[in-house]
Amino acid sequence: MNLILQPVMVDTGEEGEGCLVFAEGWLVAVLVRLSETHEDAAGFWFLEKGFGRLDRPDPPIFSDLPQAEQWIKEHLEIRRPPRWPGDRGEV
Amino acid sequence: MVRKVVVGRFVENLELYGRLSEADRAAAAALPMAVRRFEPGDDIAVEGDAPSQCRLLITGLAFRHKTLRDGRRQIMSFHVPGDICDIEGLLLSMDHSVSALTRAEVGFVAHTAMEALLDSHPAISRALWRTELVEAAVAREWMVGMGRRTAYARIAHLFCEMYARLGAIGMVQGNRCRFPITQTHLSDSLGLSVVHTNRVLQELRKDGLLSFRGGELIVHDWPGLQAAGEFEPGYLHLRAKSA
Amino acid sequence: MPANASPEHQRLIAKLESIGTLTREERLAIAALPLRPKQVPENSDIVRDGDAPSESCLLVEGFLCRYKMLPDGGRQILAIHTPGDIPDLQSLQLKVMDHSLGTLTPCRVAFVAHKDLHEITLRYPGITALFWRDTLIDAAIFREWLTGVGRRTAHQRIAHLICEIHVRLKVVGLADNGGFNLPITQAELADSLGLSTVHVNRVLQDLRRDGLIESRGKYLAVNDWRALEAAGGFDPRYLHVL
Repeated sequence: MNLILQPVMVDTGEEGEGCLVFAEGWLVAVLVRLSETHEDAAGFWFLEKGFGRLDRPDPPIFSDLPQAEQWIKEHLEIRRPPRWPGDRGEV
Repeated sequence: MVRKVVVGRFVENLELYGRLSEADRAAAAALPMAVRRFEPGDDIAVEGDAPSQCRLLITGLAFRHKTLRDGRRQIMSFHVPGDICDIEGLLLSMDHSVSALTRAEVGFVAHTAMEALLDSHPAISRALWRTELVEAAVAREWMVGMGRRTAYARIAHLFCEMYARLGAIGMVQGNRCRFPITQTHLSDSLGLSVVHTNRVLQELRKDGLLSFRGGELIVHDWPGLQAAGEFEPGYLHLRAKSA
Repeated sequence: MPANASPEHQRLIAKLESIGTLTREERLAIAALPLRPKQVPENSDIVRDGDAPSESCLLVEGFLCRYKMLPDGGRQILAIHTPGDIPDLQSLQLKVMDHSLGTLTPCRVAFVAHKDLHEITLRYPGITALFWRDTLIDAAIFREWLTGVGRRTAHQRIAHLICEIHVRLKVVGLADNGGFNLPITQAELADSLGLSTVHVNRVLQDLRRDGLIESRGKYLAVNDWRALEAAGGFDPRYLHVL
């Protein structure tokens, strides 16, 4: 599966840099780069919003974009959305 | 006859949480009680009140809720027959409201009468304290649900909980029970939007776990529904009733 | 306050008297309750989910939390406890704990045996009523937290929590109108409020930028209580403070 990342400015109140993540033409997530105010996580990428299978209560933080893409691909490959933590869905 | 049924529910409920003697049961049966009927949506108790009576739910279902200034509502628990829906009114003023979910009959008992009963029957007092602690345990599960579970798991969990609670008081027939809750009630209970709730209900149906139509819940796959909701009934502290 | 009451007993008496009245006899009875003090380091469990303890724990100094661990390793904090609280009074009635009790900071606690609590509650219905009132207030606080997680925005949740902790600490003399020590991490705040640490961080930045709060190390200074209360929609009635 190929992901397309489209740079975009996201108004979260402080960070700006972000990207829209498309999979097969569908918008599946919005990633945002965390600013200095996040101290240890500064510069890391945050799953600001995930759609469908990526919509979870505890959105992850990734140290770089390749990691984020990896995670997103893994979670999209699950055919049924995970319903509860630990549920792998149908792969 | 009605009176016996009424108090019977109250006592049965208490006995889920503690052993009562014949004397305890007789004393509870003698509680002076006035019965009033409520329509769905009616206020049974109102936030801000300093009540002088306890409200015992006799038939029907009720729910506790709080409404924020901007109009958004949080439902905090559901009450089943036998519950006292405003026990904190004995010691505190109401910091939330209680409303009827369905048509309901509520028994009103003066605080003085209830206090007299509790003072002279410590077993009843202890059982009531336990009921209240179990309600707190239920609330904790709700919190965990809203804080950390997916929408799918939250809704599945709530249905499991009500199914188990109604089952414990004999209100489940086979695999069905009446639970006439709207999607608005569901979303207000679980911190979801109505849109999200709707989507998840469709999924639960599609996955063959339950049917939910016209206020009737049919559980098609009880183990599956429990797994989906991460439901473990221990926190309800239900004593196994003879099936 | 009975002469010679230990600091632990004083804490307990002060707490009970903040939610009701004790007769002289009841005060003496509480002062005579056997309490076993203990120093507990931060981030350690006092009781675990599934335990069946034979004693309850009075918090004398520090901050405790009740929490549940989730299958995915996440944590939901269910309550933050301040000195004077007996967070696991319920284990007196419900044998098995359905959640854990852990320290957020180094704590001084005092253990009281269930058999002693049973005895004192049997002998003094007034004390039973106060303990019951305490669990009812606990439940009221919890309902407010539930409402927060269900229906308040991240901004409202955090503002509301700061206001709540302020009132609770003021009642036990651990805060003044300037602010209070809040030695709780952003991760712990996040777990309490059902938010991500990213959101917690953002909201705290916003509150600082708007001049409502100032952090000086662990000390949280509040510059504008009215504004903070309005931001959180905070109404202290649910705390049932006398």
